[in-house]
Amino acid sequence: MSLHIHNLSKSYKQPVFRDFSISFPEDTITCVLGPSGCGKTTLLNIIGGIIPPDSGSLEGFENKTFSYVFQEPRLLPWKTVTENIEFVLKRELHTGERKKQAVDLIRQVELHGFAGYYPSQLSGGMRQRVSIARAFAIPSDIILMDEPLKGLDAGLKKNLINWFLKLWKTDRRTVIFVTHDVDEALLLSDRVIVLSQPPTRILTHLNIEEPTGERNPGSERLLQLKQELLKNLF
Amino acid sequence: MKWTHRQQEEKYRMKAFITKKRILTVASIVLMLVIWKVLALAFNTPSIIPHPETTFLAVLKIFAEPGFLAVAGSTVLRGVTGFVISGILGILTGILAGVSPGFNTFITPMLVSVRSIPVISLILLALIWFNAGAVPVFIAFLTMFPFICTNVSDGIRSVDPGLVEMARFYRVDKGRILTGVYIPAIMPFIISGTSSAMGIGWRAIIIGEVLSQPQYGIGTRLQTAQSFLNVEAVIAWTLISVVISFIFEKLIRWGEHHIIRWQTGS
Repeated sequence: MSLHIHNLSKSYKQPVFRDFSISFPEDTITCVLGPSGCGKTTLLNIIGGIIPPDSGSLEGFENKTFSYVFQEPRLLPWKTVTENIEFVLKRELHTGERKKQAVDLIRQVELHGFAGYYPSQLSGGMRQRVSIARAFAIPSDIILMDEPLKGLDAGLKKNLINWFLKLWKTDRRTVIFVTHDVDEALLLSDRVIVLSQPPTRILTHLNIEEPTGERNPGSERLLQLKQELLKNLF
Repeated sequence: MKWTHRQQEEKYRMKAFITKKRILTVASIVLMLVIWKVLALAFNTPSIIPHPETTFLAVLKIFAEPGFLAVAGSTVLRGVTGFVISGILGILTGILAGVSPGFNTFITPMLVSVRSIPVISLILLALIWFNAGAVPVFIAFLTMFPFICTNVSDGIRSVDPGLVEMARFYRVDKGRILTGVYIPAIMPFIISGTSSAMGIGWRAIIIGEVLSQPQYGIGTRLQTAQSFLNVEAVIAWTLISVVISFIFEKLIRWGEHHIIRWQTGS
């Protein structure tokens, strides 16, 4: 099964999307790569229902539930790590059950020593880890990710990618990840789609056969893919 | 662990900072007392500038008076009544003004007018309109309400739209968005509004009492002492009202510390 967007149009002052179509295979990680201003965040927000498209149709997204890992972690500063995760869990759940789920996720991202900390007491990378854990806390069908690694250093990025993949492998969902970082895309995704400057169209898309989590950024295949992506991007 | 080490260091630095602050506070109070004593000695006329020690004895004497609790209690009760009324109305109006730009535009001229009117004019009018006991409450309300209202509406406008968007996206219900996002976000604003309102409102209540002369009230006692040229009693009652105001300020700070722990992370 795939999710499709057909003939999407969206304009702000300038048209961003004009008759744009794209598909996302389910239970895989698709990375949407493109220069700044090509409408990556707009695309995610349209998929997530935050903003409406001017025209076009979405197929397969009906009755789907979403999680969102925003560019900034968007944690409630007055709630602890555990409380931040509990906040998005369904109210129908018993308090004890909510707490158990939250604690379980915190352990999976190895933040159990910080469960009672407030966001202001955590580093940027830790905060984003909480935000990733929160995305997995609800049983969503689709996880939207908007450059969640932006501004973090290379080592942290790699770690966060590993945390993310660890969670994803135990609980596979459809992931749509937008970024302008080629390395991130190559490490994280099963499929990379490269977008152009607006009016946006798909420049190329490629599938990465090698399983995620076992990729070596220095391997010949990955370097070759990187060259191909860079060629399309610039 | 590096992390805990850093926290430990931070804790020590904080402790040293608090000790230094305490020393400076005590030094400042001592200096005020010294200046007072020097002036009393220089004038050498206790009926104009009484000595600090005799004034403190006068304070103790006032404490021991049988009517003391009724006097101080009445003033405090008026303050609390005025504060509760302005708190409830200020928070409700503030929320409305924060949510609706139209209502905010509508109410701003009223708030600005109330704030610009000299307190004494309000008291003179209130003296005509209300009975003696209600004047200070009315004055307290008019001086406190604009502060609380403006702070709450500023607080609502300062709520990070990203957090609200996040909560909506995760389909958190409206009630929890209110209690989990909006209320904690405006709490620091409510507290700072309360603190400023209390500072100004408290003084206004005493002025109101001085002029309206209710049967019991610190203001009434101040006025009586002044008419008998009893400077010692004027200063003694002033000190008592400063102490009560200080206790309220401390209560607010205590509330702040407990309600917005997340800011300090303690």
